[in-house]
Amino acid sequence: MSLQTPPLASIGLPRLIAGGLVRYGLILALVAVFAAFSVATPTFLTPANLQSILVNNFTLLAIVSVAMTFAVGSGGIDLSVGTAMDFASFAFVSLVLAGQPVAVAALAGLAAGAFVGAFNALLISGIGVSPFLATLGTLFIGRSVQQLLTNGGNPVYLPPNGVPEAFRFLGHGTIAGFPVPLAAAIVVIVAAAVVFARTRFGRVILSIGIQPGVVRYSGIAAPAHVAVTFILVGLIAAIAGLILTATVTTYIPSSGNAFLLNAIGATFIGTTLSPLGRPNVGGTVLGALLLSIVANGLLLTDLNFYWQQVGTGTLIFAVLALSFINRKTAGAA
Amino acid sequence: MSAEVEFAPSGFSAAEPPPRPAGNIAAAALRFGSLIAFAAILIIFSLTAPYFLSIGNIGNVLGQSAISGVLAIGLTIVLIAGGSNVVTGGIDLSLAANMGLSAAVYASLTQLGYGDATAIAATILTGALIGSVNAIAVVYAGIVPLLATLAVMNVVAGLELVLTGNTVLPASTPFLSALSASDPFGIPVLAYVLLGFTAITTAIVQYTPLGLRLYAVGEFPDAARAAGLPLRRLLAGAFVASGVSGGIAGILSVSYLSGSTTGAGEMLLPVVVTALLGSVFSRRLVPTITGTLLSALLVGFLVNGFQLLNISSTLVSGVQGVLILIVVSATTLLRRQEA
Repeated sequence: MSLQTPPLASIGLPRLIAGGLVRYGLILALVAVFAAFSVATPTFLTPANLQSILVNNFTLLAIVSVAMTFAVGSGGIDLSVGTAMDFASFAFVSLVLAGQPVAVAALAGLAAGAFVGAFNALLISGIGVSPFLATLGTLFIGRSVQQLLTNGGNPVYLPPNGVPEAFRFLGHGTIAGFPVPLAAAIVVIVAAAVVFARTRFGRVILSIGIQPGVVRYSGIAAPAHVAVTFILVGLIAAIAGLILTATVTTYIPSSGNAFLLNAIGATFIGTTLSPLGRPNVGGTVLGALLLSIVANGLLLTDLNFYWQQVGTGTLIFAVLALSFINRKTAGAA
Repeated sequence: MSAEVEFAPSGFSAAEPPPRPAGNIAAAALRFGSLIAFAAILIIFSLTAPYFLSIGNIGNVLGQSAISGVLAIGLTIVLIAGGSNVVTGGIDLSLAANMGLSAAVYASLTQLGYGDATAIAATILTGALIGSVNAIAVVYAGIVPLLATLAVMNVVAGLELVLTGNTVLPASTPFLSALSASDPFGIPVLAYVLLGFTAITTAIVQYTPLGLRLYAVGEFPDAARAAGLPLRRLLAGAFVASGVSGGIAGILSVSYLSGSTTGAGEMLLPVVVTALLGSVFSRRLVPTITGTLLSALLVGFLVNGFQLLNISSTLVSGVQGVLILIVVSATTLLRRQEA
């Protein structure tokens, strides 16, 4: 509490309403966007399209964003989530192409993603490089390595008749009518939420993100926790890489980077849901949902494709501005 | 106001650790090490590729580095005023997109029949406008620079697509031809533009009270506030300056490529790396304009040398990544040693 706390009477009802508007700005934005598209386009509200939003737009972004939430939660950022996706994807496709069982190839893919994470962990926890710079370096090296591995960036295709059943199942199968990719995303989301809310590890990570000094002085091995966090980020991103590959049965070099900026956006938009502006899995998932709905809805409108990018950017900007202005006034009060 | 700030004698001086020769030597080694490494790269290339050290080729590298150099210098101003923490401090991710939109504005205006003067003014205004949006978002709305400029980047890149329809807009005017020409020695005019731009910004940022204040705002915001510096205005000014650099880079790119092209966003990460790498060329390992110029030239010479030696250009981004990790790791380890 600072000395400038105004007397209660001066806060007044309008300000309370304004505060609430901002506090639940993300949810309001979701509702507003959903309603706007339902009215503006005849096809938005059809079950087929809603399923398409979840399966095509939301699934991969949500998984990558959850990975990003761990990195941001620990007070850092991971610019190499796309690289981890790509490495996982490359290992997966290459081994399947070489005739290995899908399970073995998938495990190798996860290992490749974890390897990218371990490389970051070494730089960040071992040497003390800031996460932004460490993962930026990883992103650059990863880009070169992928081009070297693929003769300068040629995609690796699986022949249409050579796609194993288990591979197809991962990308296009259903479990009791539920698409497998979506099911995987839900498992990742729930697991991450449990880790954050119910485990000591999750609490320690968030404390490192908020007050690294306090954590260090309370005798917790912060570097080890950060290292595990970044390996986990690589591992979760690898899951997204496997699903992406299984969906398109192709590895395209550096395709994972397409998710990077949206994942950062979703994570930080998600922080608006927390009264103290902290990363949280629920907020991240809603952030990813908002971006997915906007991407899908804008596609259905008659709007010029290029205006869609302007629209998305402006919307993100507005949500962020709303949230940060609120945080500033909350901090000042 | 001079750069030699005298600290008031305090009771804490007794508790200060004695100077560490080992740390100083290591710091010096790193500082000169980066210059030595630069020289070594030049020597290796000049031995293996005879054409490498010719005046024409050096001019070429300077000219080719002009666009990324101007952008990286703009980013450096934001890095200086925003502080060293890249996530919460100074960064401008919208710079590359800014260059793309500015170039598109220039090309569209010339296609509509406007003269060079109008086009130049409008282009720089476009850059300044984008910088102002960033400034308002960061300084007055309080959005973290990384996020604010990320959102602006998306909007700007979208506007460029709207304006150009994702196609190449050719442009050719007397001014652009003059800019893309070479002098009698075969040195591109763009090389002189880069050196001139660097000289002007260096003069302002490194040698005026204004520049010193920018450093103060970035490195010691609390002290700067206590000293009564207009923190917000300085930081906002840095973002506007960075936006203007984007506009200038847009003009250069229209002249270099004879029109506006798509895919300006590809420039973003190399420019960020160039600006961040620049700090190894400074005495105290802080971002400086001349350091950024050296770093831009280092990358330029690397790419050029690879081309002359027929080494795959795919290695360039890998080398950049390794460079940044080595430099940052070494810096971090040194700082830890000194602490």
